[in-house]
Amino acid sequence: MLNYNQALPEDTLIQDLQMKEVRPIMKLIIRGKKRNFISAIGKSLNILLPTEANTSAQSDKLAALWLSPDEWMIYSNEPVDENTNNYETEELLNNNISKLNLGAITDVTDQFVMINLKGNKIYELFQSGSPFNFNDFQNKKGTVVQTILNKIDVIMHNRDKNTVNLFVRRSFSQHLFSWMNDAASRL
Amino acid sequence: MFIINCPFCGKREQSEFKAGGEAHIVRPKQPTELSDDQWAEYLFMRKNIKGIQFERWNHAHGCRKWFNMVRDTSNDEIKAVYKMGEKPPTK
Repeated sequence: MLNYNQALPEDTLIQDLQMKEVRPIMKLIIRGKKRNFISAIGKSLNILLPTEANTSAQSDKLAALWLSPDEWMIYSNEPVDENTNNYETEELLNNNISKLNLGAITDVTDQFVMINLKGNKIYELFQSGSPFNFNDFQNKKGTVVQTILNKIDVIMHNRDKNTVNLFVRRSFSQHLFSWMNDAASRL
Repeated sequence: MFIINCPFCGKREQSEFKAGGEAHIVRPKQPTELSDDQWAEYLFMRKNIKGIQFERWNHAHGCRKWFNMVRDTSNDEIKAVYKMGEKPPTK
């Protein structure tokens, strides 16, 4: 139930760069190598898992991010409202994937904190703390990258022009957030 | 600092990777039949050449996959990158 607790202090707006924690967001890590794994996911969730590196797929309710050739992250587009630890999607996948030995489903809802960043200076902020080259990333909607930001592992999802969803481990989130605030104030 | 072309994710900075030592070391088929010296040879002894070396690398802060790399250790020039299980390039 950690996901219902606020991990970060207040949302901030620095130099028209808006940063806020979005919660509660359902997040799953799914892993599978078998050929019918992807089709089984597709049938269950009505979403085709991206097989091309650093890309994502989207449906009305969910987004699927490519993390590795056999690993994806699925998260809900909108915050989930019910006050429970059971998520429909997870249960569905548990029945359709895990129980049939097609792959593994892990609930990482409480593990990751999702930070939504908006503004035309977000890439300047990322560049000040990440070795990744954001030139292609920022122009292509839906791109995903796993990289380091201020020495912290993060997953970034280019949601829209100048809008990025950033996932960071919960225990690192406060530190990263305070660094981002500090770095943003110097842009 | 140099750029490594991860066979799964594409070009990334070296700080995202971890080096995993020499590649293509074959585990002896019958470890029980080896002498201690032979076992130690397999377990600990690495070439550490100055020049072209075959290495294992892990994209630790990215896709977390292992892959092989041919690198010139004298100038850090990367000659080739290939996936685990693939045959090393001959030249």
